[in-house]
Amino acid sequence: MNQRSLSRNAWIAFFVTPGLAIVAIFIILPLFMSLFNSLYFWRGMARLEFAGLENFRRIFFQYPFSERFFNALGNNVKWFTTTMLVQNTLGLLFGYFLSRRIPGSPVFQRVFFVPVLFSIVAVGFLWRLYLTPGTGLVNQFLLQAGLGSWARPWLGEQAIATYVIIAVNIWRWLGFPTLVFYAAINNVPQDCLEAAYLDGASETRVFFQVIVPLVIPAIMIITVLTMIGSLNVFEQIYTMTGLSGGPYYSTDTLGTLFYRTAFGGVDTGLPLIGVGSAIGVIIYLLTFASSALAILYFRGRETEL
Amino acid sequence: MTFDIKLKSTPPLKLAVYFLFFALMCVYVLLILYPLFNMFASSFKTTREIFQDPFSLPTAFSWDNYRQVWFEGGFSRYFLNSVTVTATSMAIVILFGSMAAFGVSRYKYRLSTLVYLLFLSGIMLPLKAAIIPLFLIVRNLGLMNTHLSLIFVFAAMGIPSTVFILAGFMRTIPRDLEDAARIDGCNDFSIYRRVIMPLSAPSIALVTIYNMVPIWNDFFFPLVFIQRDRLKTLPLGMSTFFGQFQINWALVFTALSIAILPMLIMYLFMSKYFIKGMTAGALK
Amino acid sequence: MKKLMISIIVMLALIAPLAMAGGGAERAARDGVELDFWSWRVEDVAEYNELIRRFEAENPGIRVNFTPYQATEYNTVLSAAVQGGNAPDIIHLRAYGGLEQYAAPGFLMRLDDKLPLRNRFDEDTLRAVTSVSDGNIYGVPFASQTLVIYYNSRMYNELGLEIPETWDEFLSNLEVMKDAGITPLANGSAEGWTLEVMHGVISPNFYGANEFFDAIMSGEAKFTDEAYRRSLAKLLELRPYMPDGFTGVNYVGMQMGFINEMAGHFIGGSWEAAYFNSQNPDLEFGVFAGPVENRGDTRYVSSYADGSFGASATTRHPEEALKFLEFLASQETGQFFADELKLQSDIPGVTSDDPYLQRILELNENSTPYIQLVGFRYEQPTGSSLLQSGLEGMMAGTIDAAEVTRQVQRGIETWFTPGQ
Repeated sequence: MNQRSLSRNAWIAFFVTPGLAIVAIFIILPLFMSLFNSLYFWRGMARLEFAGLENFRRIFFQYPFSERFFNALGNNVKWFTTTMLVQNTLGLLFGYFLSRRIPGSPVFQRVFFVPVLFSIVAVGFLWRLYLTPGTGLVNQFLLQAGLGSWARPWLGEQAIATYVIIAVNIWRWLGFPTLVFYAAINNVPQDCLEAAYLDGASETRVFFQVIVPLVIPAIMIITVLTMIGSLNVFEQIYTMTGLSGGPYYSTDTLGTLFYRTAFGGVDTGLPLIGVGSAIGVIIYLLTFASSALAILYFRGRETEL
Repeated sequence: MTFDIKLKSTPPLKLAVYFLFFALMCVYVLLILYPLFNMFASSFKTTREIFQDPFSLPTAFSWDNYRQVWFEGGFSRYFLNSVTVTATSMAIVILFGSMAAFGVSRYKYRLSTLVYLLFLSGIMLPLKAAIIPLFLIVRNLGLMNTHLSLIFVFAAMGIPSTVFILAGFMRTIPRDLEDAARIDGCNDFSIYRRVIMPLSAPSIALVTIYNMVPIWNDFFFPLVFIQRDRLKTLPLGMSTFFGQFQINWALVFTALSIAILPMLIMYLFMSKYFIKGMTAGALK
Repeated sequence: MKKLMISIIVMLALIAPLAMAGGGAERAARDGVELDFWSWRVEDVAEYNELIRRFEAENPGIRVNFTPYQATEYNTVLSAAVQGGNAPDIIHLRAYGGLEQYAAPGFLMRLDDKLPLRNRFDEDTLRAVTSVSDGNIYGVPFASQTLVIYYNSRMYNELGLEIPETWDEFLSNLEVMKDAGITPLANGSAEGWTLEVMHGVISPNFYGANEFFDAIMSGEAKFTDEAYRRSLAKLLELRPYMPDGFTGVNYVGMQMGFINEMAGHFIGGSWEAAYFNSQNPDLEFGVFAGPVENRGDTRYVSSYADGSFGASATTRHPEEALKFLEFLASQETGQFFADELKLQSDIPGVTSDDPYLQRILELNENSTPYIQLVGFRYEQPTGSSLLQSGLEGMMAGTIDAAEVTRQVQRGIETWFTPGQ
């Protein structure tokens, strides 16, 4: 018996250790190290004395970090709400229609997934060219379509720049939630739907009262992924409006703010590792807390068959 | 699915809504295909032609731009580097991830929940925010400026979601199959390899797609860990290239085509499996 | 499935050695010494390689690898490499605060005891390569840049325009171009640093150039002073002459506008000339300094040391690195920069009969430090980053000039102590 459980434990260790070691060294350890770093004063790469929560105080209360931080956080919230409202809602509806075998459904499925495969850098750069004020494809199209008054410097207008970048991101990513929801709806047992229809329920009712509750796990996964993604937006901004999140901070996010602070740029001065790590820790905590909350919320609503 | 759209018996308002959505989906398809087509067409034009009429078709086909970007721009090397790094990281992700999923889901022991939660936290924690300590770790392991630094980091990024998805799937595989194999004299590793893994194939397809796309496209970690030009991956090399030639839109469109088209072609060949992997028994 | 696993493992086995080979293979410079040399001058690869060829011919046994990075990524890449212990032997450094970032933590080799620099260069030049924390020299001065207004001389001839002296004359020239259907000014505001350059050209003649700079360094003046506010507000008067949708026009868009003769003026730095020439050899252009308020006022240009060449403190070939730095500090190199890249070399004794460079030198007779770069790029938030984003807001009409000056003053007050 003892022999047996010993070899069983050895097997468990054999299976789990390699993966766990990689995750521990490259994810868990850096997390604790950045927590540690955020509690110290730094001068360049040199760690100085213990700082307590001073770095966090600077982020929340010292100009200009406080203004930058809350402004960036606000933009991250915009990313989340807009993506949920537009991309994921459309994804759910598209997924539903695809599952109803509309004509051309397999073609739609395939084409929708195409932009998902492209790198953010390439997509960002491509659209930056298309959105250029004078010579870009978008304004040229509007001009030729007689909609010249709609043409504008898409990425240069503070009021819309963030939404334009979000729209490009939705262009790239919409296929993902669509296919996830399509799969989830396809997995809804047939008899449930038939029973509902036999009861004389309308299609809208079936959609909201039968289908949506049954695809809650998919909705949960998409919501959590959107949360994680929205709090970590970086490449999209970096390639389309640059590190300083211009114009006038209107596209700044926690990701770009973190990067500027921790690494510095040509004209941003000495890197501030302490403050940068503190921003990193805050991103961690926000991501962790919001995804945990989302999971708890949806777990309570899941319908078991 | 039995409830296909029945045009005849549908009330007009509802029909209008269907139509609206159908039109919307067609518009999205156009929005996807036209910019890609325009990108490809522009790569054969001169910068002046692009400015004068961005919608016109190229007048002459010459592969000169492609030759220039591929060889002089160094894209052949970047491409190879990306293939190396992505393939190796994916191999590690699938192998270690599935082993860990097996270890977490097929045994009952006190620590299993804790181990599972450790992996789970890896999904929720954004690794980018820990770039500074990660940088120190990579430096101390002597991995700066090697592909191994990227491989380990990408593996760490991919393993948590792999464990999460595969463990969920492996839990649903009946225990009788395992017991039968054990009676046949299989040890734990052969059970993993001969019984559980073959049954998990559709989920593995999903995990592969889900992880491969961000790994292939990642720009951030190569930016920090790789400085030598000959070790750069495609997204990083592309960004450098754009910096140098951004005034020449024709070359930029060529570079974008080179970055995007191989993925597109591969996808066209494999789209059946992609969609199957995404949809079949994936999200339990 | 089994096949898939096996093929994955085989692939892993095949590829792993390839991946690991990366680091080691190229270190081996079989014969002689190899020096790595990094820079942000992606535009000048051919010229630098030519310079290196000359050095290698004079110094057999030493080879130099020139690797440039995109300017926006250079700092990230370099700080990552330096902190990661992979610093290149020779580093193209920024000046002032940009040098301090690497000098203060001891990443750079001290040069004053090894190369005769202190007596060769003037004080202003040395200030750019001296660490403020220990007073030592860490770089070989490279070149100075001057901020000017480029104009398309063919258009000036056709429209019968003359080089303006006062602000009103300048505006009326712009107006004539606009009436002629030409975009008068190529500048956009999508990238904040191009706005800082614009401010560097226009503002000094309105805020009081050197006097104001000295006053601000000593604490007698503040950025919130009326003179500085007014000098920023002057930029607003240029808005009607900038391209349609200028808030979305980035640096590349600006360059393309001027190079392709779609726009008649370009407010920028003296480094642009070589690039303009190479992209459009038929382009005829000249430069003038920022206009003044009244006829006869002294006309200042902003100028600054653009950078320097330093060596890593941890280089394994200090002797060879010093030899190369010595070469970079030689008159021969200075002459090469002047001739090939049209740069104002800081090295004494360099002469040039190039009319463009002569013109730049002439404008430099009245020069003033490029205020935020020279004085306020040491700590976060830098004056530059505050000003750049603020000006983006001002040009878009979201905030006024007074608010920009408040943001700059408030931001730098968190770390700047006057009189140091």
